[in-house]
Amino acid sequence: MMYEFKVSDLAEEFGVHRNTIRNWINAGTLSAKEGPGRKYLMKFHDYQKLCEKFGREPHVGPANNVSPKALGALEVTDVAPMEINGLKSQIALDPAWADSCMTCGTCASACPISGVDGLDPRKIVRMAVLGMDEELVASNWPWKCTMCGKCEESCPANIQIIALMRKIRGLRKRALVPGPIHKGVSMCLERGNNLGIPKDDFVFLCEDLGQELAEDCCPGFKTPIDVHGARVLVTVNSKEPFGEPDDMKWWWKIFYAAGESFTISSENWEGVNWGLFSGDDEAMKTVVGRIVDNMRRLNCKVLLLPE
Amino acid sequence: MSVFDLLLEYIKEGKIQLNKEVHKMAVAYHDPCNYGRKSLKAFGQAYFEEGREITKACCDDFRELYPNRKGAYCCGAGGGAWAMPFSAERVFYGRIKARQISESGAQLVIAPCHNCRDQLMKSLNKEYDLNIEVKYIWELVADSLIMPNKQ
Ligand code: SF4
Ligand code: SF4
Repeated sequence: MMYEFKVSDLAEEFGVHRNTIRNWINAGTLSAKEGPGRKYLMKFHDYQKLCEKFGREPHVGPANNVSPKALGALEVTDVAPMEINGLKSQIALDPAWADSCMTCGTCASACPISGVDGLDPRKIVRMAVLGMDEELVASNWPWKCTMCGKCEESCPANIQIIALMRKIRGLRKRALVPGPIHKGVSMCLERGNNLGIPKDDFVFLCEDLGQELAEDCCPGFKTPIDVHGARVLVTVNSKEPFGEPDDMKWWWKIFYAAGESFTISSENWEGVNWGLFSGDDEAMKTVVGRIVDNMRRLNCKVLLLPE
Repeated sequence: MSVFDLLLEYIKEGKIQLNKEVHKMAVAYHDPCNYGRKSLKAFGQAYFEEGREITKACCDDFRELYPNRKGAYCCGAGGGAWAMPFSAERVFYGRIKARQISESGAQLVIAPCHNCRDQLMKSLNKEYDLNIEVKYIWELVADSLIMPNKQ
């Protein structure tokens, strides 16, 4: 807790001259720092020690930001004051948030996971404007938040809470990103899909499933891989060829019934862009760029990304 | 094009025929954050009505979950949370969605998103004893199709 004072008041309190107080401060006898509004700040504990040394009763009240209750319980409740480093926060996307967020807490009451392990969007916004970047990047809050936007939707000040969460995620060291999402991103950059499924396996699987579908309900169906000039290019969610291959047939069945001309690319067919979640803009751009390349290469008109 | 635009195109232009007899149960539609609220913010356009229109083209007994559309609750697995190592938090998060579903009386819930579908079907359904079926919106359409006679 900090004790706020004016040099003149402290001088009067201790019966010394203003210059004496200033000299004590300059010499470090009194460790105080300049604060806003020609006032000084020192640790409340130091103030108490000063009083003890000169046999005075501590003066506390609203004027020096200290509650009278603090007096007795000082030793137990004295929280180390936080120093704000004055560096510009990389996380607070707009410095005006310091004022525009009125700490009303509407966001926190809208958030389904607020209160779990101290997660609280209002607190996160405040920590960001205070420049507590390190603490935020180290915390798991932004990863437990689903970036659902309930908070932002309800915020009367239109604070960009989702963008803030994503920014914090993006600043985490890549190796420390929780779960498989960053591994998926690296795998996708390296091998074209999040699970590293090889091209031959993928093509074989698709053709096989196509045959099953043809026998089952779509006579004559053949899975169209790399068909130039098809109208629709469809991306695939890698969990399907990996673990739920039959789920790919629903779309194919609809296309068949609708008489649609569609195709799947044999490479870079991944539709899941985990860069969105890991906060990795560069990776996201690369993955999107590849889909655009596929559109051009296969000369398709419509892109369908069934995510 | 989004899944909604394409499916609606097929339905409206009569390219596909749907049989409502297949899904006679009570059906609820879940608004995914990314196609609704967040799409509105990022692209100025949200898909709220389209998913409902498609669902209603497949089923007669349509139920809403409240609140919905812009104010809808997330399934709890968004933002990659389905894949994160914080499953206790994820299940706790989903308690609101689970309550909404059981209050609606729906036996089938339609999810137009992979994440939501997995959370609803593989997690919440079991955790909260919902006894529901969960389908992707394209799965619902595919299962309702009246197949044309082609050889
Ligand atoms: S709802 Fe908006 S203004 Fe209110 S505390 Fe949250 S971020 Fe700040
Ligand atoms: S975006 Fe995150 S903080 Fe905001 S309501 Fe959703 S889960 Fe809570």
